[in-house]
Amino acid sequence: MAEKEKRKILVVDDEITVCKSIRQAILSEDQEVDMALSGEEALAKDRERRYDLVITDLMMPGISGLDLLREIKAAHPEVKVVMITGYPTIKTAVESIKLGAFDYIPKPFTPAELRALVGRALKQAETEPGLEATAVEAKIPAGYYYLIGHTWLKLETSNYGLVGVTHDFLRSVGIITHLELPKIGDALSQGEVCAKITDANRFQHRIWSPASGRVIEVNTALLHDFSLLRRSPYAEGYLFKIDLVALEEDLKGLLQAK
Amino acid sequence: MPRLSFFRNKNCFKLFLNLPLRTKFILSFLVVIGFGGLVTLFFGTRLEHRTIFSLAQAKVRHDLDSARTVYQEKINDIRDIVQLNAIRDSIQRALLSQDRQLLLRQLGRIRQEFKLDLLNVVDGQGIVLLRTRNPETYGDDFSSDPIISKALKGEIASGTGIVSREALLREGKDLASQAYIKFIPTPRATPKAEDHEENGLMLLAAAPVWDSQGKVAGVLYGGLLLNRNYGIVDRVKDIVFKGERYKGKEIGTVTIFQHDLRISTNVTDEFGERAIGTRASQEVAETVLNRGEPWIGRAFVVSHWYIAAYEPIRDVTGAIIGMLYVGMLEKPYIDLRNRVMLTFTGLAGLCAAILLVILSSITSTIINPLQGMVQATQKIAQGELNHKVAIDWRDEIGQLAESFNRMTENLKAANENLIQWSKTLEKKVEERTRELREMQDYLIQSEKLASLGKMAAGIAHEINNPLTSILINAHLLLEKLAKTEKKDEFYENLSLIAEETARCSQIVRGLLEFARQSPPQKDFTDINDLLERTVTLLENKASFQNIKIIKNFEPNLPLIRLDRSKIQQVFWNLMVNACEAMPKGGQLTIGTRLAANKQAIEVSFMDNGVGIPAENLHKIFDPFFTTKASGTGLGLAICYGIIQQHQGLIEVRSEVGRGTVFTLILPLETKNNQITGGTING
Repeated sequence: MAEKEKRKILVVDDEITVCKSIRQAILSEDQEVDMALSGEEALAKDRERRYDLVITDLMMPGISGLDLLREIKAAHPEVKVVMITGYPTIKTAVESIKLGAFDYIPKPFTPAELRALVGRALKQAETEPGLEATAVEAKIPAGYYYLIGHTWLKLETSNYGLVGVTHDFLRSVGIITHLELPKIGDALSQGEVCAKITDANRFQHRIWSPASGRVIEVNTALLHDFSLLRRSPYAEGYLFKIDLVALEEDLKGLLQAK
Repeated sequence: MPRLSFFRNKNCFKLFLNLPLRTKFILSFLVVIGFGGLVTLFFGTRLEHRTIFSLAQAKVRHDLDSARTVYQEKINDIRDIVQLNAIRDSIQRALLSQDRQLLLRQLGRIRQEFKLDLLNVVDGQGIVLLRTRNPETYGDDFSSDPIISKALKGEIASGTGIVSREALLREGKDLASQAYIKFIPTPRATPKAEDHEENGLMLLAAAPVWDSQGKVAGVLYGGLLLNRNYGIVDRVKDIVFKGERYKGKEIGTVTIFQHDLRISTNVTDEFGERAIGTRASQEVAETVLNRGEPWIGRAFVVSHWYIAAYEPIRDVTGAIIGMLYVGMLEKPYIDLRNRVMLTFTGLAGLCAAILLVILSSITSTIINPLQGMVQATQKIAQGELNHKVAIDWRDEIGQLAESFNRMTENLKAANENLIQWSKTLEKKVEERTRELREMQDYLIQSEKLASLGKMAAGIAHEINNPLTSILINAHLLLEKLAKTEKKDEFYENLSLIAEETARCSQIVRGLLEFARQSPPQKDFTDINDLLERTVTLLENKASFQNIKIIKNFEPNLPLIRLDRSKIQQVFWNLMVNACEAMPKGGQLTIGTRLAANKQAIEVSFMDNGVGIPAENLHKIFDPFFTTKASGTGLGLAICYGIIQQHQGLIEVRSEVGRGTVFTLILPLETKNNQITGGTING
């Protein structure tokens, strides 16, 4: 691993403390971390050197996180971009995934959460450097709605739907050591945590709910056999059944497989 | 005019106007009667006075004539005596022979018989031949005496004359002293230097005695001294007044004055003595003595008022030497007048009294009903609208009373309407006030929520960055500590920091949830179905297994447009709250129904849990208000915000120990961009 070229990460946030904290959290032997305090600075740095991963705040004065995402994706589509969001921008975060962001992480977060995400992003960058969205979609059954790189929603009626994890997310996680599912009656919002997967490195990965509603049924079979997830991510490996309350709104943040 | 002067004064007039009607009537009548009575009395009295007194004066004048006749008769008597004796042969002879003894014998007897004070004989030259009263004194000359000189010329002469004291003394000392009168001081008399009268007033008559040749041989003359001689005055009194007395006092009085001095009178003084020596008043003396005119009128004589008549007494030469007076006591006339007046006044009073009685009974027939009406109005003014005026006759007042009763009935009806109306109004006002208060509370709450939302969003966003740094650094430190020996030393503290930061993050999340004012996404929804689904979730929740859920859903409710996600959150929050209020189990009753006005759907959640104290009831929708140990205090605030977004209402009723009812009122039709009470209550 020492021979291996260090991964280059750029952290963008208008607050230096946050930048520094993030940098400290993810700085390691394998990873080089640069900081930029604005979108402008980030673009300048991006032109100077090639980054494997850009972690950027969504809400910044001047060039916003979304603008930065567009620019970077336009220049280097293979660069993974992770968005940091405050809660009010969660809709924007979901939207950013549609625009090509790898994932997002809501503030505040722990180093572990960040590391998990970073690890997942880098892993994917390594394994599928030029993965196209269409390629991912090809594996998702037609008619399924999905939140890119995360979860899918299969409508049973206009009120109920099944929720599961996309295969590409599972791949980026690797070996599953633990699965945390929601409880019946839990209220979920689109883009918020609905389940957590712990990998072999004890990184906990958060899974975003594709829709808003209440959990009415949980696929407890999963808890006994995690392999179900991998074997049948779009059928028996579903996570839970949801009572949908804002489907129309939720669908705006999702894509539908053809 | 008393009435005019009474009314001239404005205050008096006002005072009069303020009097009760009855008093006013009676006063007016009294004034009329009084005025009429006074005028009648005034003129009546004057007429009566004039009549009575002119009658009295006429009588007194007539009496004076009688007195004068008596007086004159007395003179005539004396004249007759001297005349008859003058023609007697024996007298003629005795005179011619100057036989004084014979004369004395014959004439002395006559003088005594006729009670003359003097009966003297003078010769043809006027020399006194004999004084029958005092035969020793003779030889003095009498020729200058006007009566005697007349008689010496052959005439029979008679009249009144003043006789000097010397002359009287010659007749006898007793006669002089009879004439002597000391003045008694008399008020209103003419002041005089002297204090007595020594001369006398006499009735005198003289007749010539003829000789055979037809020449006057002498004169026989007689006289009567009037001083202290009461014969004439008493005779006049007897003839004219016939001795009438009034209350022990002589009615009629007669007096002979020598000049202004009473020399013969039956006027008495305060002791009942004849008032000799008093004098006539200056006014009378002036008129009668100086001007020679008679005087008739009221006169104050000695001690009483008299209706009096005076006339002068003249001697034969025509000189005024005294007065004859006749007076009638005024008192009987005054008393008569008073009696008449009293009778008159009494009659007038009686008439007035009778009039008053009649008047008061007439006014009563007018005023009593009026008073009844006044009392009725007063009673009505006090609110006794049932009061009726009981007048059943058909004059104007009766009609008025009838109209009045009708008016009262109308008033009563109107009043009842008014009361009814005011009750309704009161209720309406109460209702409106309550609505307004609710609206106000609602607006305050809305504003509070809106501004809090903004603030919360701002705070959350600003706090998120430092929280991120803290959280990351705390964890980094923990990771570092985990690798060292001194793991235990700060581990716990750092863990706490990390945990509490996570909690902060949860609070911020809640705040942001609350602040998120994303517009609701409304779809037509079957509210019963939505509730049913939410209840299913609750029923599956292990912690609420001991709670019985009763569903009172009204079937066939109209579909309602709402944000299912948000409304379900409200349902969920209210149900979870209800269940948490019943830690030992209980009953949750969920009901839906169409509002009475069919404009809204009401959803109620009723538990029989611990209840909410009244003092907390108005705070429960405030953000961060919580009574639970582990709560953000945002649940109900969020519910409130969501219902507000649906232009609905949340009502809460609670009783400690009994339970709580939350009622959602969700309007079927909502107006865009408008959150008003009208919509909510409409």
